[in-house]
Amino acid sequence: MKKKLLSVLLCVSMISALAAGCGSKESTSSEENGSDSSEATTLTMWLPPLDEDTETNFKNLLSGWEEENNCTVEMEIIPWQSYEERWATGVAGGETPDIGYMYVEMYPTYISSGLVMDLTDMVTDEDYEEYLFLDRGEMMGGLYGVPIVTGVPFVLYYNQDILDSLNEEAPETWEDFARICEEATQDTDGDGVIDQYGYAVGLNSGDMSNLYVLNSYIYSLLWQAGGDIYTDDLKEVAFNNEAGVEAIEFFKSLKPYMPENVMSLSGTDAFSTIFAEGKAAFGVTRSSSADETTFASDYPNLKNWDYVTSLKNVDYGTFGAADCLSVMTTSENPELALDLIKYITGSEFMTEYHKVAPGAPLTATEEYTGDPKMERIVSEDRDKWRPLQAGPCGSEILENYAAHIQSIMEGNMDVKEALDESAEYCNEVLNEYYAENE
Amino acid sequence: MKKKKKVSVFTPYLYIAPISLILLTFVAGSLIIAICFSFTQYNIITPAKFNGLYNYLKLFRDTKLRLCIMNTLKIAVISVPLQIICSTLLAVLIASRQHTILGKLTKAAVFIPYLSSSAVVGTVWKAILNGGNPIVKSIFGILGIDPTMLLGSSKTAIITVALLIVWKDIGYYMIIMLSSLMSISNSYYEVAKVDGATSFDMLTKITLPLLKPTIIMNTFLATIVSVQVFDLIYTMTGGGPSMSTTTLVMYAYQLTFKSGKSGYAMAVSNVLMLILLVVILFQQRFLKRDASEI
Repeated sequence: MKKKLLSVLLCVSMISALAAGCGSKESTSSEENGSDSSEATTLTMWLPPLDEDTETNFKNLLSGWEEENNCTVEMEIIPWQSYEERWATGVAGGETPDIGYMYVEMYPTYISSGLVMDLTDMVTDEDYEEYLFLDRGEMMGGLYGVPIVTGVPFVLYYNQDILDSLNEEAPETWEDFARICEEATQDTDGDGVIDQYGYAVGLNSGDMSNLYVLNSYIYSLLWQAGGDIYTDDLKEVAFNNEAGVEAIEFFKSLKPYMPENVMSLSGTDAFSTIFAEGKAAFGVTRSSSADETTFASDYPNLKNWDYVTSLKNVDYGTFGAADCLSVMTTSENPELALDLIKYITGSEFMTEYHKVAPGAPLTATEEYTGDPKMERIVSEDRDKWRPLQAGPCGSEILENYAAHIQSIMEGNMDVKEALDESAEYCNEVLNEYYAENE
Repeated sequence: MKKKKKVSVFTPYLYIAPISLILLTFVAGSLIIAICFSFTQYNIITPAKFNGLYNYLKLFRDTKLRLCIMNTLKIAVISVPLQIICSTLLAVLIASRQHTILGKLTKAAVFIPYLSSSAVVGTVWKAILNGGNPIVKSIFGILGIDPTMLLGSSKTAIITVALLIVWKDIGYYMIIMLSSLMSISNSYYEVAKVDGATSFDMLTKITLPLLKPTIIMNTFLATIVSVQVFDLIYTMTGGGPSMSTTTLVMYAYQLTFKSGKSGYAMAVSNVLMLILLVVILFQQRFLKRDASEI
């Protein structure tokens, strides 16, 4: 009898657990809003970690706003590695935040699914004057986000000591860059093995996605050559046109000046173990990852360094993300959500926040408090970097493009052949997308 | 005399109800869902739209899928035989010395990697291979290999990944093999010794034939595990270079979470399921035949 009872109890508990697990989580804000206007409203916000302790840093700075608006902000900090998965599974389970941090590759899917609110009619001309990068939240015919992380593009760092030893100045053009790379690639200790490289590049995508390869090395060359990923109407890809081929041909021509294990190294390893150890003339990383403070603490062996925001070929260009905070259409308090976004990206919040997590000022009234050496990125060089085009099937297209660049660099394919093959695949993907969505 | 209690006809069903419920919900349920969604255009975010056989027809013209199937099979073909041969030999070697300190140490050393997380193993091995450590370089140098180049070539990356699967999982198969070895009665060996059999004779005529069912089971287990490997590849190569280590599981993952094509991803997953189904059917047939021979 006891056993039978135990089985019944087990079954009941199992069913309850299943029912609890499968139940959808109602939005906290809706629960609390509907009842009484005097009760505190709750806004949920999904973010990746933006510094060492984003939740605490944000919470400390939000307390005043929360009190003033009788609102509690509930944050969920989602690791970068599983960020898109969390969104996809959350949305599939009927759980969306009021405010979400999104990057360009995420937008097309969520915009076309009607989940991201167009803020065009909710912002004013004054907002455009105050929020310096607001135009970078414009995509696919609307304003879908307010940039929160921007002004930290991938820039070309150089080792001043190596350049001095070669009697070279900082490069300005592709020709300068290729020449210095060639001169810098040397066997400095005379053992017959190259131990100093021109360009510290890593194309392994194990710890970061393939897209990191594009962010670091490819978009800059593509844009400097006058090319882009998509055509202006976003109906086709354009990376296999003349400019696209020129960019990748140039990148390939630099291979003799890269470490031999360029294909095994990741981009971050190439920067930290080759360039930052003084073994290469040039290295690329995001400007927020390497300023005076981080170089002194993380890379003590490289003291004499500087950077070029962008080289010039037919144009300037390097990748600088414009990750935004967006209001979800499922939010029951879109105005309040936008108000919170404006507060977070505004001068009062960011002036304090940038003291713990340095970054570019996002508003006209915020003073630059970051590393003085990096300030020209957001002043005189501001037009030399930009975010990606937000186009459909972004991740799939870019992953395919990156894989073909790996083939080219491995020597398995010719540049034109590889880019045409990739473009053919990507155009098929786009055709399928438009056929399904138009 | 104590009166024997009459067992209700429903009692056994009650005992198996909890596990049946779990299996039905999470295994059969997800299987049915995967099959249903594979006939739809679905991106997780918006409701699924029925699109008939479109996803299955697309499988036939998807060049990436062919590449992923090939990569998956390559990993299985390299790793499974190595795992079975090495785990059997290790088990035989350890069995005769299992009460010595060396035997115990070897057993632990071989088994520990199996307990480690695949993601950690991938990250650590990537650092070891790419780290340029002189000791690592000189060890690989004995074989004429530069470890820093292994993950950077389409040809060697997949072999490296397969060998790491062997290194990681071999302990598991060795333990199964060892327990099976322990169940072989010593009397067979004693009689063989009296008859003048050599160690090699005993290995080939007694040990291996009696281990046959375990070897068959290990072979199929290893095949199933090797075609499902994900974390290790994800952290070591991210599927690269040039998609040379992208397996079916990785491809389905990318389709779902990067490309927003969950419907098609489920069709791809069903291809993987079919492959596994064939493997399982073969396993059952082999085991049945083996049992009838014994």
